[in-house]
Amino acid sequence: MFCVTKFRMLGAALAIAVVGASGPALAQDKETVLKDRQATMKEQGKNTGAVKAYLDGKGDLAQAKTAAADLTQTTKKIPELFPPGTDGPNPTGDYVAKAVIWTDWNKFLDAQKAAAAKADALLVAVSSGDKTAIEAAFNDLGKNGCGGCHTTFREKIEK
Amino acid sequence: MTAGLDGIVRQILSAAVVALLPALSLSAAADEASRGGYLANAAGCEDCHTDRDHGGQPYAGGRALATPFGTFYSPNITPNPETGIGRWSDEQFLRALRDGVRPDGANYFPVFPYPSFTKITDADARAIKAYLFSLPATRQANRAHDISFPISWRFLQNGWKLLFFSPGPFRPAPGRSEAYNRGAYLVTALAHCGECHTPRNWFGAMEPDRFLAGNPDGPDGKSVPNITPDPETGIGNWSGEDIATLLKTGQTPEFDFVGGAMGEVVRNTSRLDDADRRAIAVYLKSLPPIHSQKKGR
Repeated sequence: MFCVTKFRMLGAALAIAVVGASGPALAQDKETVLKDRQATMKEQGKNTGAVKAYLDGKGDLAQAKTAAADLTQTTKKIPELFPPGTDGPNPTGDYVAKAVIWTDWNKFLDAQKAAAAKADALLVAVSSGDKTAIEAAFNDLGKNGCGGCHTTFREKIEK
Repeated sequence: MTAGLDGIVRQILSAAVVALLPALSLSAAADEASRGGYLANAAGCEDCHTDRDHGGQPYAGGRALATPFGTFYSPNITPNPETGIGRWSDEQFLRALRDGVRPDGANYFPVFPYPSFTKITDADARAIKAYLFSLPATRQANRAHDISFPISWRFLQNGWKLLFFSPGPFRPAPGRSEAYNRGAYLVTALAHCGECHTPRNWFGAMEPDRFLAGNPDGPDGKSVPNITPDPETGIGNWSGEDIATLLKTGQTPEFDFVGGAMGEVVRNTSRLDDADRRAIAVYLKSLPPIHSQKKGR
């Protein structure tokens, strides 16, 4: 009984220590979050490029399939790339995440889930090897998935 | 006897024609409305005339358009007779697009891109009206613009028009390809690309010698890129195929997918025919390159 209380106190003390340190830690975190986010988006861009290359007759189907599989993973982890407090200034990029992501988090999640479902559909199409189906799925993911989010949740930084 | 038979045949035939006529003109009207739907999509009417952020009905207006001159609210262009354009004649609709004038004779503000729409052919304008009149008539009153004196004085727009507005339909350039002329018509008239991509002078008029050379102060205070073929500050390094791809899927040659206002535009251009997207590319590639102060994007 005594031990449990002691542990609780220790827990509380630790919690206070963490909260106390969270100021500078957050700033550090934001930088890391933004870097992660940019790297993931660039990776997604590269992967859409690989599918486009196949559609244009400049790339092979195996690479397109690897790329589409990667897109199904990265579109699913988008929510963790946007923890609260990571809108606003972004010194190393051309764009910022709009605050509406966090004020209307469910709308953001809906858009992300839609994009992830479109990535899944693209992988199915690429696996089938049917070029017409791949093109339709690719256009849908690009325009409504990627472009849909960029239209509502991203804005350009004016420099 | 023969004459009698002839007469009967004639009567039957003319009865058949009379019976068929309404059906024929109905299907012609439906064709015109569907052609108008394609054109209205190319012109992006729905984007400005729908308050999507607040769940507004399509074409019922009310979208806030922030400009350096104040905030304008788009009007209802559904066929509702009281709050929309349901009582407008074809002639009134044509005047609005061609001359920037309301049915009551007052001027529109150039936030309504009539300086581009003046180039739309009468046949296309009529088709667009037929399409709009085929839509549900939504009852939604128009909201007054949030602009201050002296901008709010509509008659002062007459001076603006005198200085900056050249009315008149699109004229195809002789000796240019069909694709070039179709692209020119789409870019300068229907899709009114210049309204966002061309910088404006102190009076809010497009600077004609910097057509499509980028606008540092576009809608909602955002900069809009230079889309002339300048290799450094424009899209000179893009192929025609790159341009057509962007219009179809929103994908740039750097594998980004455009967002913001262009994301909305791509929703429309993705529904164009491939030939129209290629025509836009042909026209843009043929423009003189104009250097802008900074890279537009």
